[in-house]
Amino acid sequence: MSMQPVSEIVPEAPVLLQPERGKRLSAGRRPFWLMWPSVVLLVVIIGIPFLIAFYISFLELDQYTLRSWIHAPWVGLSNYVTALTTGNVVGASTLASLGVSVAFSLLTTLFITPIGILAALTVNTRFRGRALVRALYLVPYVMPTFVTALVWRMMFLNRTGLVDRFLAVTHLGDINTYWLLGPNSFWAMVITDVWASWAFIYIMVLAGLQSIPSELYEAADMDGANSWQKLTRIVLPQLRHILGLALLLSTLNHFNNFTLPFVMFGTPPPVQADVLPLNIYVSSFQLFNFGAGGAMSVITLVLMLIPGLLYIRALRLGEAAAS
Amino acid sequence: MNRHHRHRDSQDLLSPPVRIVATIILAVIVLVPLAYTLLLSVTPDAEVGGDNLIPSRWAFDNYIQMWSTVSLAGGLLNSLLISGIASVIAVILAVGAGYIITRFRFRGRLPYLYSLIGLQTVPGVMLLLPLFVLYASIQAVLHIQLVGSYQAVILTYLTFALPFATWLMVSYLGSIPLDLEEAALVDGATRLQALWRVIVPLALPGIVVGLVFSFLTGWNDVLFASVLTSPETRTVAVQLQAFGASQEGGVLPLYGQLMGAAAVSALPVIVLYIIFQRYLIGGLTAGSVKG
Repeated sequence: MSMQPVSEIVPEAPVLLQPERGKRLSAGRRPFWLMWPSVVLLVVIIGIPFLIAFYISFLELDQYTLRSWIHAPWVGLSNYVTALTTGNVVGASTLASLGVSVAFSLLTTLFITPIGILAALTVNTRFRGRALVRALYLVPYVMPTFVTALVWRMMFLNRTGLVDRFLAVTHLGDINTYWLLGPNSFWAMVITDVWASWAFIYIMVLAGLQSIPSELYEAADMDGANSWQKLTRIVLPQLRHILGLALLLSTLNHFNNFTLPFVMFGTPPPVQADVLPLNIYVSSFQLFNFGAGGAMSVITLVLMLIPGLLYIRALRLGEAAAS
Repeated sequence: MNRHHRHRDSQDLLSPPVRIVATIILAVIVLVPLAYTLLLSVTPDAEVGGDNLIPSRWAFDNYIQMWSTVSLAGGLLNSLLISGIASVIAVILAVGAGYIITRFRFRGRLPYLYSLIGLQTVPGVMLLLPLFVLYASIQAVLHIQLVGSYQAVILTYLTFALPFATWLMVSYLGSIPLDLEEAALVDGATRLQALWRVIVPLALPGIVVGLVFSFLTGWNDVLFASVLTSPETRTVAVQLQAFGASQEGGVLPLYGQLMGAAAVSALPVIVLYIIFQRYLIGGLTAGSVKG
């Protein structure tokens, strides 16, 4: 479940032991009942609702028909057509929201990558106070998203927020920049999420750096390589896999980020910041057009499958298990 | 250790001045919004929209008033209760599932692991309405109250924490050699005893990571809590969201108190991270570096 940044990190392909090699272990009954509770929960709380979501997307369902939702009129694909063509009355259309979501998740990932790599390089070698710096770097990442959103809403308050004050004092911009409405709201959202999530790339890169054998650096030294050459010819190629995984997960999770725009802008949000999850929420729970919300969810899911499948491939679970 | 020390310089890609400047810039970027939050939290509400950044007096009473402005204590307690119970159950179930997955070969073992990743990509907002509908239907059939109860939210969070916790436990338990528990089994221990006395102590770092992250799944959620909780069971996340939203367009927005409340509700999480920092980073990246 990608509800919030916390679940961004998934351990990579675990070492799967070769179970049941020894005879001794297979003696006695297998306690499979240890696994049943989680299977049942996953099926009931995620699996069944998942199927219901598909079903609902073909129904004409609102607050009046919800009570007997099973008997709501079946309207085929019309929710999908409506979602793609008109959208809801207070926000962006599905396609517009889709554009916002894609731009938001890709841009955020693009911005946090160099910051995360740089941060990892600053603490990769020992120095006094390194532990403190490492702890500090993690603070924005570990702050609950609802707190981050509230804090940055205050930062971006028109005229009196710190950002506008700063812009006015440095003459970089207008004191009335209006970050929380109109086109700037998109950038306010991007800046906030960059601040909150760069440490994810940082953590992944830091782990990757520690796995680069020191011989590679020494060889580069002997060849007279400078730092930039070491970065581009050794470090980045060695980090290829872990960075690829990190970028994929990051994109996926920014795409699913509901809490940040919801708390930052409230509902209805500015059209420019109306990401798909928020649009679905508004369509379903404020306009009570459950069918349309369902159709938009399914569209989102199909889109999520692309990075999702890439992710599963990247983990190469099958190979790890077969070896 | 010595080896590491000798080659320290060649791994350092940033020259000391560059590193110091970069570290300072990053630290400032991290600290400014935090400092601003704390500053606003002791600014009198009437002065937040004023011309001066520094308030005329330190309004420490914001930290007292906010408890009555919004039922913050109730929210914190609910969050603690809900996330705490959910994370403990999630980790217990994940240890059980992880044990079976790493110790036995059975049909559906890999598909199960794959589907856990698949669940990771399901957008939360997609499940919200169906889950609500499901709970409402169960309510109608069994004549019990689910929506708004602690049980429903706990059940939801614990299930959402399961995929990640299970993966974590699979990777931790997978790295514990079979010999240890085989020895215990030979000595006459039952499987459960072996699991409890041999495996669990060895997997403790992983269990801690699992607990913390499962806890945060509940603590940080706004989406599900906004629909599945009642005023009595409302978590601090929803309370703060509502508090923030209600300040919009008010006569005198209580921004000072809002920031105080935000700081207080972020604090437990940050403390949790700092205490377990070593475990957490190690736990998160353990699998990645081996690859």
